[in-house]
Amino acid sequence: MTGLILTLLWLTLVKSTPIIYAALGGVISERSGVINIGLEGMMAAGAFGAVVASNYVGHGIAGAMIGLLAGIASGALIGYVLAFAATKFKVDQIVAGMGINLICSGGAAYGLVLIFNQPGASRQVNSLGNNGESALIGFAFLLAIVLHWVLYRTPWGLRVRATGENPLAVKSAGLDPLRFRLVAVILSGALAGLGGAFLSIGELNLYSDGMTAGRGFIALAAVIFGRWTPLGAMGAAMVFGLFEALQYALEGRFAWLPADALSALPYIAALVALAGITGKVRAPASDGVPY
Amino acid sequence: MKRFASFISGPLGAIVLIIVLMSIAMLIAGTSPIDGFTALILGSLGGRNQIGETLVATSALLFPALGICLAFRAGLFNIGAEGQLLVGGLFAGAVGAAITMPPFPAIVIMLVLGAVGGGLWGAIAGWMKAKLHANEIISTLMLNFVAQFITLYLVDGPLKNPAANGAETAWLPTNYWLPTLIPHTRLSIGLLIALALAMLLQFVFARTVFGYELRAAGEAPEAARRSGVNLSRLTWLALAISGAFAGLGGATIVTGELHRFNTQLSPGYGFIAIAVALVGDLDPLKVCVASFAFGILEAGGLAMQASAQVPKDAIHVIEGLIILVLAARRYVAQRSERIEGAANV
Repeated sequence: MTGLILTLLWLTLVKSTPIIYAALGGVISERSGVINIGLEGMMAAGAFGAVVASNYVGHGIAGAMIGLLAGIASGALIGYVLAFAATKFKVDQIVAGMGINLICSGGAAYGLVLIFNQPGASRQVNSLGNNGESALIGFAFLLAIVLHWVLYRTPWGLRVRATGENPLAVKSAGLDPLRFRLVAVILSGALAGLGGAFLSIGELNLYSDGMTAGRGFIALAAVIFGRWTPLGAMGAAMVFGLFEALQYALEGRFAWLPADALSALPYIAALVALAGITGKVRAPASDGVPY
Repeated sequence: MKRFASFISGPLGAIVLIIVLMSIAMLIAGTSPIDGFTALILGSLGGRNQIGETLVATSALLFPALGICLAFRAGLFNIGAEGQLLVGGLFAGAVGAAITMPPFPAIVIMLVLGAVGGGLWGAIAGWMKAKLHANEIISTLMLNFVAQFITLYLVDGPLKNPAANGAETAWLPTNYWLPTLIPHTRLSIGLLIALALAMLLQFVFARTVFGYELRAAGEAPEAARRSGVNLSRLTWLALAISGAFAGLGGATIVTGELHRFNTQLSPGYGFIAIAVALVGDLDPLKVCVASFAFGILEAGGLAMQASAQVPKDAIHVIEGLIILVLAARRYVAQRSERIEGAANV
């Protein structure tokens, strides 16, 4: 029994981590007034970018570290695409985000064939190993605390939040709200990319099609459930991570449990959380509204 | 810059954009665009079989695209068509494998239950939106995954065809298959049902009170509410009907082409249908044309992969880019008011 509980605890940490990174990205983006439905695609970009870089650089942990940076950079690059579209062209952010998701999942699948010469999954590359995985897990929690502090205790954080509530007020204070949105969404992409890189070269050592499996969308639910705060989103991500962990912890031990149905647990949990919390929480006033 | 933006978001611009981007994707893959496009066109329009496959994809895209169109007109985002297709297909496949009756009522029952299944799946998101104010974008996205895993569980467990290796329901008896539209192709008369649905939707938008209320709710929700439109009822109805369209699509794929249900029913039709609805300007008749264009890309993409070695996933990148470009187009005013009107998304 203790064995099961310990397994479950560890799995919860592992499964929460990518959702925490993406959810932190979601918080910062939505706090600046941009809904980032593209988190899912940015995670895929991060996961794929990390594997490609690690594949080319190779050579042990250094290669994997460069892979990690490449994953973050890939996410940030896609974040820049959404940021540019949202600030320059005032696009419908939901439509643009869905477009980005299709581009990233399709792009990674296309890249798999071109780079690894095989559809479906890449070959195995250098991963960050167990230590790297543990470090990234710890860093996720640390980052949540840091981001919380930045958003609530620094002038920059105040301005980002103000941009999400009332960009005109920011403008009349002599600042450019679009700059804050641009930076926030790029950061959001970098965080999602980090979460994706954790999936591909932290937890595993390859990229496979569909490996993000909706975690970017679950992260969006975590943002709402966590009331648009970094620490809240972290907590919500852990709840959803727990349900994902439950599935892995239980399906091996109890053969009669239907594995496929258990896989639906985290998504059902997100739905229930969404149904239970909305109405009691308030989104940033200008969330999703182009300025 | 403005003129450029308005050019590439117009229909002619979209075609030019597709050609340029496709050429780049082909060049990256080491194929000359001439070979690539030849493969794409021959593979989608080069013969009876190819045209059949293009129209199969057209029909599969048209159902969910019309549903998305209806929800979008009401200012609601239904990103759950993929899950609704699956649930509709499952209902049709499971019932068709279980019942024994003359073919005509059997087919009608399968199609109706497919629509009911998809409609129920859409109604969950609708109910959550109308009663609990839960963001329909996230709920429909989550429901996609729930549908995927639950249908997989069912066809790998209780509903599994014991004679099959993979996870699928039992085959439908041949007289439960939708009649073929073009002989010696996989195309069924499902396409005609989809086209009829498009005309019906056009009529609903243009001539009925319900259609008027939908558009009013999408364009000026506050004004609609004040003039007596029951927004809450309209919201769940719009998402339920939107889901029913996709579910009916899933059912026609099952009775028309697959002749059994499995979870590989849709290679992302529900998501690509978003692009189709946007390219078609949320106008049912234009959406028919857009479905055909995307049907060419889907069917031609497979052929292009086989004969010109350009991975078919390049098509999805291009479809995503088209969505991204179209996002700059006209939805902004309409959505922002909606979002402000319901800040508690």
